[in-house]
Amino acid sequence: MTQKPKLSSSIADFNGVALKYANGPEILRDINFSLEPGSFHFMTGESGAGKSSLLSMLYLDRMPSKGRVRLFGYPLDTLSRSAKARMRRQIGVVFQDYRLLNHLNAFDNVALPLRIAGAKESDIKRHVSEMLSWVGLEKQMRAFPPELSGGEKQRIAIARAVINRPRILLADEPTGNVDDAMAKRLLHLFLELNKLGTTLVIATHNQALIKHFGFPRLHLEHGRLQIIDSTVKQDNMATKLFNKGDKND
Amino acid sequence: MQIPTVDEKGHSRAKQLTDEIETTLTLLRSSPGILGATVLSDEQMAQLMEPWMGDEADLTSLPLPKLIDVTIDTQNPPQLEPIITELADQVPSAVLDSHRIWLANLIKMANGMIKLTSFILLLLIFTTAFTVIYSTRTSLAVHRPVINLVHMMGANDFYIAIQYAIRSFKLTGMGGIFGLLVALPVILGISYFFGSIAADFSIPFTRMQWIVLYLTPVFFSCLSFLTTLQTVLSTLKRVL
Repeated sequence: MTQKPKLSSSIADFNGVALKYANGPEILRDINFSLEPGSFHFMTGESGAGKSSLLSMLYLDRMPSKGRVRLFGYPLDTLSRSAKARMRRQIGVVFQDYRLLNHLNAFDNVALPLRIAGAKESDIKRHVSEMLSWVGLEKQMRAFPPELSGGEKQRIAIARAVINRPRILLADEPTGNVDDAMAKRLLHLFLELNKLGTTLVIATHNQALIKHFGFPRLHLEHGRLQIIDSTVKQDNMATKLFNKGDKND
Repeated sequence: MQIPTVDEKGHSRAKQLTDEIETTLTLLRSSPGILGATVLSDEQMAQLMEPWMGDEADLTSLPLPKLIDVTIDTQNPPQLEPIITELADQVPSAVLDSHRIWLANLIKMANGMIKLTSFILLLLIFTTAFTVIYSTRTSLAVHRPVINLVHMMGANDFYIAIQYAIRSFKLTGMGGIFGLLVALPVILGISYFFGSIAADFSIPFTRMQWIVLYLTPVFFSCLSFLTTLQTVLSTLKRVL
């Protein structure tokens, strides 16, 4: 990935990070947190609080205007374009609006990250079929996104995000367009991934889910981040919840 | 070849005519590339004039020139310039009628057309490159959401650029093949047309030139491929 030595074992380290768009005001200020491997966090905050902006820095779509971000131990400001591209392959993202490609069917949408990574077609066929079965959509394999319901699209988006076993999964309001039963089912899918070692950050407004699963929160308010953990002391910035995930499962 | 039987004032040139014909025949027969030279007989002249004069006409009363039919070696055609110079010196009244003279002008014009075509080809290359650049930029702008998505999934610039370049290669190749299919009958038609005017004027395509012609779609496809690749790479670096 790069010749620079790894400086941290954390998945993500944010140190004094600020973000602003062009010459506008800072949307995020003085953001400090780290995510340990295998941890599970909710991200909360009012609409416009900067949740999507913070997630966009985590999936390398935006660079901080101030401060330092390290992902998988590597400082972002020293990475080349190709190194960043390789790093993105270790990050799965579920968008609130799914961002499925309407001209590709469910199978090809899910297969996209594997094709980008240069996987063999025989492996792709096997993995994608397994993944679609895992999300309960093996029968909709050849359906195009406009033919699918909101919940089905959501599951396709999740399958696409996890198909190449990312080290971190970021989900922006993944339960925003589904009912509570489906929301819980999706969260259980995330928990299964978490058990396999994937670090998760789920941005959500769904208080019932937050309460039900009880994971620590990265709470954004007026551009600042506060970590709220009902089980661990407030000043514990990096909360490993691998075992806790088991307990809540 | 023709040698006039009367001078400019209409007086008979019978006296020197026999010598001039002899000199001309000797000169022609000794020139390389000429297989034979024969003076047309009165009967042959009558046959030639029949369409205009009818078969009863008395040609002796007309000031018809003496015609010499010259047979040339088509495999090894004669150099006309030295023959014309020599004739002008020894038999000033002799006139050489050769289709080669007007054909030479036609060939000169054709060569001019080749130069013009080369210039047009150069323009086409630049036009193709600029068209590809602008259409690629437009396509990148239109498909920006898709590009952003695959970029976020870890596609590097080269991966995205190669997808565009392959598509561009295929489209240009299909257009090129279609263009070649249209062009081939036109080229063969023109070749046949000019070939029927004169053997010297048939389009002299060598095997290599035919190969070059067939490879034109491949050349433009490669041009399109490389232009697209470079355009996408430079655009992505700027916008992503």
